[in-house]
Amino acid sequence: MIRGRRSVVLLRHLVLVLLSAAMLVPFYWVLKTSITDENIFAYPPHLLPTDPNLFSYVDVWYLIPFPRFLWNSVVVSLLAIAGNLVLNALAGYALTRNFPGQRFATLLLLSCMMIPFQATIIPAYLITAKLGLLNSYLGLALPLLSTIICIFVFKASFEAVPRSLVEAARIDGLGDLRILWRVMLPLSRAAIGTNVILAFTWSWNNFLWPLIITRTVSMQTLPLGLANFLSYMENTTSALYAFVVMVLAPGIAVFLMAQKEFIRGLTSGAAKG
Amino acid sequence: MIRGGMWRRRRTRQAAVAVCFLAPSLALFFLYRILPLFWNVALSVERWSPLRPTRWAGLYYYQDMLSSDTFWLTLENTMIFIASAIPAIALALVIALLVNSDLRGAAVYRTIFFLSYPLMSVAVAIIWQWMFEQKAGLINYVLLSLGVISQPIPFLGSFDWALPAVIIANTWQVLGFYMIILLAGLQNIPPHLYEAARIDGVPALARLWRITLPLLKPSIFLAAIIGILNSFSCFDLVYVMTHGGPGHATEILITYIYKAGFEESRFDYAAALTVVQFLVLMALTILANRAAGGNAGAVE
Repeated sequence: MIRGRRSVVLLRHLVLVLLSAAMLVPFYWVLKTSITDENIFAYPPHLLPTDPNLFSYVDVWYLIPFPRFLWNSVVVSLLAIAGNLVLNALAGYALTRNFPGQRFATLLLLSCMMIPFQATIIPAYLITAKLGLLNSYLGLALPLLSTIICIFVFKASFEAVPRSLVEAARIDGLGDLRILWRVMLPLSRAAIGTNVILAFTWSWNNFLWPLIITRTVSMQTLPLGLANFLSYMENTTSALYAFVVMVLAPGIAVFLMAQKEFIRGLTSGAAKG
Repeated sequence: MIRGGMWRRRRTRQAAVAVCFLAPSLALFFLYRILPLFWNVALSVERWSPLRPTRWAGLYYYQDMLSSDTFWLTLENTMIFIASAIPAIALALVIALLVNSDLRGAAVYRTIFFLSYPLMSVAVAIIWQWMFEQKAGLINYVLLSLGVISQPIPFLGSFDWALPAVIIANTWQVLGFYMIILLAGLQNIPPHLYEAARIDGVPALARLWRITLPLLKPSIFLAAIIGILNSFSCFDLVYVMTHGGPGHATEILITYIYKAGFEESRFDYAAALTVVQFLVLMALTILANRAAGGNAGAVE
């Protein structure tokens, strides 16, 4: 019986190891290509890197305005993070208060979630053009400044704060902004983390929106730079893959550090609308 | 009396504060979700031009769309893309069942499977165009070495293989997300149900069939809804890997909308396409929700 169970466990590990390997192989293949500066089309391909070096990583800085793309991505991501923290915290706090129209507001937000951003690109472009924000940082960040999932993450976190604490603060004469700032937010570290991580990921990875509203190379973000690199240079240089690794590294690092916050955000968003 | 007045004043004050706090977010969602939804409909029945004022066009663009072969091909590809979520969810379910419970190293496996989901999809597209490359791609090399094929296949340039190749890349990226949703569902199943079944001598397979799957239904359909919405969000992958080609072999509605709107400046036609895609997705979502017993993605 026990031996039977142990072999079942072993079998599970075997299946999982094989599947994990299949998931990781594409990462390896790109990493390998990025540190090889031989002819990357050599056949048969080498499974292990021959003479590994980092020249391709240096090339990236010369072939494209990498610092500019990086700067643009960082600016837009910071705007998105700041916007999400402030706007979502305010909105989440409002939803925990009892007021006429609270149900309506909740319902409105939930139905907005059913409208994928990609389904709005044509009018969103026209609106942004009317606002005069094409090809600007604010235009790039504006649609990302508040996220419905994250509003509900804050709401759930604020609801978990003991009512007695809030009442005590109110009796001490604290206004709503102060209660939010002094009582709610210090007790909502996890929700803040989730907001930062999700806002960062979505803006860092965003491609379609910058593709539509940027006009000049100097306003392009990393995903656009990457896509253009592919279409100008084709896939002939290992610098492309070095670029891929450089772009993925921060995302992977952030994810590995804050996996728990990330998953909590996505599942609470998914499970609660 | 005085207390009542104070109380009422406090309530109005509270309402005012709440509305002020909600206003910025609601304004954004109005500007970038609700208004575009209606504007799309308006655009789709007008003749749009950047210089002249718009003119009424009625259902012209819808007729144009319905008589276009490209539209039907694109719709078919979108449906195939959505249907590909079914095997993906099945695979994710197997993985979720394997890493659920106290298996040693389960957390490491989970991280590995989920790792590809939060990555930049443009980068994912480049990774996979390289995997599928005709000469230097690992996939062709492995298939050739194993003797499965005798000639390298130009996957992304082939009318038959391009769509499956893009779907594989997409599945690789979203698989982990499905797994996470199913794991959350599995953890919500009360363990005493399994204990009771075990005491009654119910075999493992029957436990899976009679307890796990029925109770997991809401999560499975939630994953299906995410799969449906994914046909919008996989724009990056298709656009970068194949640009919809060869021909329109990998064209899906969202890339077709983008091209009609921003490459051909036919905002009116693109708006009509958007309206149709939105309606199709709404219908599918409602259907999935019905099938789940009406509580996939339900609000607690």
